[in-house]
Amino acid sequence: MATTNVLNPGFASDSENYLKNTSGVLSWIFTLDHKRIGIMYLIGILSAFAAGGALALAIRAHLLEPDGMLFDNDTYNQVFTLHGAIMVFLFIIPSIPAALGNFLVPVMLGAKDVAFPRLNLCSFYLWVVGAIFFICALLGSGLDTGWTFYTPYSTTTDTSVILATLGAFVLGFSSIFTGLNFIVTINTMRPPGMTWFKMPLFLWATYSTSIIQVLATPVLGITLLLLIAERTMKIGIFDPEYNGDPVTYQHFFWFYSHPAVYIMILPAFGIISELIAVHSHKHIFGYRFIAYSSVAIALLGFLVWGHHMFTSGMSALTTIVFSALTFTVSVPSAIKVFNWLATLYKGSISLTTPMCYAISFIFLFTIGGLTGLFLGVLSVDLHLHDTYFIVAHFHYVMMGGTLIAFLGGLFHWWPKMTGKMFSELGGRISCLIVFIGFNMTFLPQFVLGSRGMPRRYATYDPEFATLHQWSSYGAFLLGIGLLMAGLVLLASLYNGRKAPSNPWGGVTLEWQCTSPPPYYNFSRPPVVGDPYDFHDLSWDDSTQNYVITTPERKLAPQTLPKEMPAHAGGQE
Amino acid sequence: MISPSIQLLADYTDTFWFPTSASSFSDEVDSTYMMVMWMCVLFLVPITFCLFYFAIRYVKANGIPAESQTSHNTPLEIAWSVLPCFLLVAMFARGSIGYIDQRRAPEGSDQVGVKAFKWGWTMDYGNGVFHPELHLVVDRPTKLTMRSSDVIHSLFVPAFRAKRDIVPGRYNEMWFKPSLASEKVSDEELANAIKDTKEKFAGVFDPERYQFTSDGYKYFDLYCTEYCGKNHSEMQSLVVVHETQDELNAWIKKYSGRQEGESPAEYGALLYNRRGCASCHSIDGSKRVGPSFQALYGSEHGIVGQGPIKVDENYVRESILEPKAKIVEGYSPVMPSYKGQLSDDDIDSLIAYLKSLSPSVAAPASEPVANP
Repeated sequence: MATTNVLNPGFASDSENYLKNTSGVLSWIFTLDHKRIGIMYLIGILSAFAAGGALALAIRAHLLEPDGMLFDNDTYNQVFTLHGAIMVFLFIIPSIPAALGNFLVPVMLGAKDVAFPRLNLCSFYLWVVGAIFFICALLGSGLDTGWTFYTPYSTTTDTSVILATLGAFVLGFSSIFTGLNFIVTINTMRPPGMTWFKMPLFLWATYSTSIIQVLATPVLGITLLLLIAERTMKIGIFDPEYNGDPVTYQHFFWFYSHPAVYIMILPAFGIISELIAVHSHKHIFGYRFIAYSSVAIALLGFLVWGHHMFTSGMSALTTIVFSALTFTVSVPSAIKVFNWLATLYKGSISLTTPMCYAISFIFLFTIGGLTGLFLGVLSVDLHLHDTYFIVAHFHYVMMGGTLIAFLGGLFHWWPKMTGKMFSELGGRISCLIVFIGFNMTFLPQFVLGSRGMPRRYATYDPEFATLHQWSSYGAFLLGIGLLMAGLVLLASLYNGRKAPSNPWGGVTLEWQCTSPPPYYNFSRPPVVGDPYDFHDLSWDDSTQNYVITTPERKLAPQTLPKEMPAHAGGQE
Repeated sequence: MISPSIQLLADYTDTFWFPTSASSFSDEVDSTYMMVMWMCVLFLVPITFCLFYFAIRYVKANGIPAESQTSHNTPLEIAWSVLPCFLLVAMFARGSIGYIDQRRAPEGSDQVGVKAFKWGWTMDYGNGVFHPELHLVVDRPTKLTMRSSDVIHSLFVPAFRAKRDIVPGRYNEMWFKPSLASEKVSDEELANAIKDTKEKFAGVFDPERYQFTSDGYKYFDLYCTEYCGKNHSEMQSLVVVHETQDELNAWIKKYSGRQEGESPAEYGALLYNRRGCASCHSIDGSKRVGPSFQALYGSEHGIVGQGPIKVDENYVRESILEPKAKIVEGYSPVMPSYKGQLSDDDIDSLIAYLKSLSPSVAAPASEPVANP
């Protein structure tokens, strides 16, 4: 009988568990452990999400009535601006790369930490500083420019534009440092056997994202500094009153902010590729196509910023070229959806909470992607631009896409991060409520938009009232669903079952260390093969855990052979 | 008067997706939209079916291996990458052709100047006639030459499916050809509405309430769709499409100045509502973007950097023509200049109106006012 090698690391002891090996506030504040930094990011961005979400619910409550229920116009403008700015800069951009990525990238690589642990901690504190700037802006005279800071409105309004843009500037550096760190880590610290095409797809997505972060974010920094200079010194670049051109600002801004859309969605693709493969226990279909499409999206994403400006007065030729380029981006996104479906086909599917979120993601993202086609078609875009159709479209992509993938990933890796299993029933119900609430919120907005309802309106014409009310009730349901998801996760910390090392049956490296991982992750770099080879996986009912059984590997002959050649020291 | 719920239903008699189709572009835009929609359905339905069918069909207990471990199928993957591109090209081509039509105004189009400001519209019909409503003639291509006096605005007429940003510091142009004339309500209905307005709403005519303009025309909405600050959502106007050029000319004549027998203060009140003063200056003492007009005339104001000043004719005139010359303490310099847009008689009428709002100033109607 062949001897086999069962990979089951068991449970981490308190002295090795990264959550408990040292204690005290200082051990967290000054930690260099990428996992602890990831957890701190997680707490930070979830607080930002709670704030942004509360503002979103306030907006929807206000719009229950055509004349507005809660705010005067000025307050409404500040509320939607803060909702957008908080969600984009403080939540979505750092959500998956910085929080989940920090935890996962080194563990998936079998490494002990990222390449530059101190830079990593610095990124986190830059995020905190950026968040403080935003809070100061809020406590100052607020911000009412919209998250896009369009000139000349932003150079003339008397709200705290400078504080907020400085905040976004600092957050940009946080993002650049994280991206740089991941690029170096993935380039130099892959374990033996992990070639580029043996990397888990989450790492491909993170790598593509990092490239965008490093290349595009500096442009945002420059733009925001120029905006501050325009406001304070009237240098005359964006403000027509001093011979500037407001459309130049839009070019600068979207040159970053369109790639930033892919900073938000690419890591989500990575998560979904992992979730679909692991919970189907089946080799991901079309690995290379998925990997290449991530890179293609990252590169093409730099060429399509003009589609935010189809109505703003570019020449007809430029506009048409941007429209053509925009359509090219839809191809790699479609490839991914088809590949995920093919992965599900003939799989061994477990409908766990993360899988339910992954399935919601595919449906919602498909709608988000397809409705983007309407906006790429120029003649139709002239009608739909800056209406609620846009609002619905980007919420389907950003929220139905990135947020749902983030939640799926959070549920998926929660046992690994905290060592606790959550209530499956609660998790699945939360997913159902979120799914229904989400569609009820944003489907009516497509119709609102095509019927001509402009976005960013504090009050609206009465003929739009019914659809707005549907949308608001959906939003409240969505809020309940998200609250429930949060409570399910929090409850698991108190009464969750102790998590085994591999509760879902993943075969990437993070499932081969204990839950939660020891502070050093792996004692030596593990040897890896295909990250989606599920042949050696089996379920152990007694421990409720998946184990990986590999044929015994003999590293070297253990006994001396009878005869040895002379050059090896033997006798003739 | 029609009850609000019936009005609501009346709006919904357009199609489910679109408001009334009223320009030469709108049918093309709508059918392109529906084409894209059906292409999306073509993808969404099979994707959704496969997604949920597979997710239920292949559920297995823990530990049962998958039926297949196929890792790729290159011909299939190339097929589903390349085939959708043909649909993309079709969408792109149709959209671009429609777009070029919208960019190129035909020779000999009628012209209307548009000035957008925080938060209102002034349409320039030539010969010194300005009005916030956009009035056009059916089946006449009309070109708008648009400028903004402060921040970026965007002119959007949903019924025409047309939109264009208005960027300060440059002229942006757009054109359309209305295909549907506005109905006119009966004189009786109009008279009732005007009477109702005088009795209940202090003479401020709200077209939204009656669904027709103060001249008795049904209208299409005109919105600002680029966020422009506080009253962005109230920066709306109306589009009226006339049957004939003569009808439009008659309408223009009606607004070319003060009518016979109209007192300056009455005409000033009309201008106050018509020319956008009302969006920033209240007449009930409440604070909006600018100082309230209630009891303004004759009062004393602190001016930034210049000390207190008494509000008199010269001050009001200067504030209308050079609004940034003297800024009242506690307010921002955001008012656009009305230089060249108001005749001397218009300004006199506004001053007379301001006087009528200040009871402390005994306003004798005997002031010499030049007739238009």
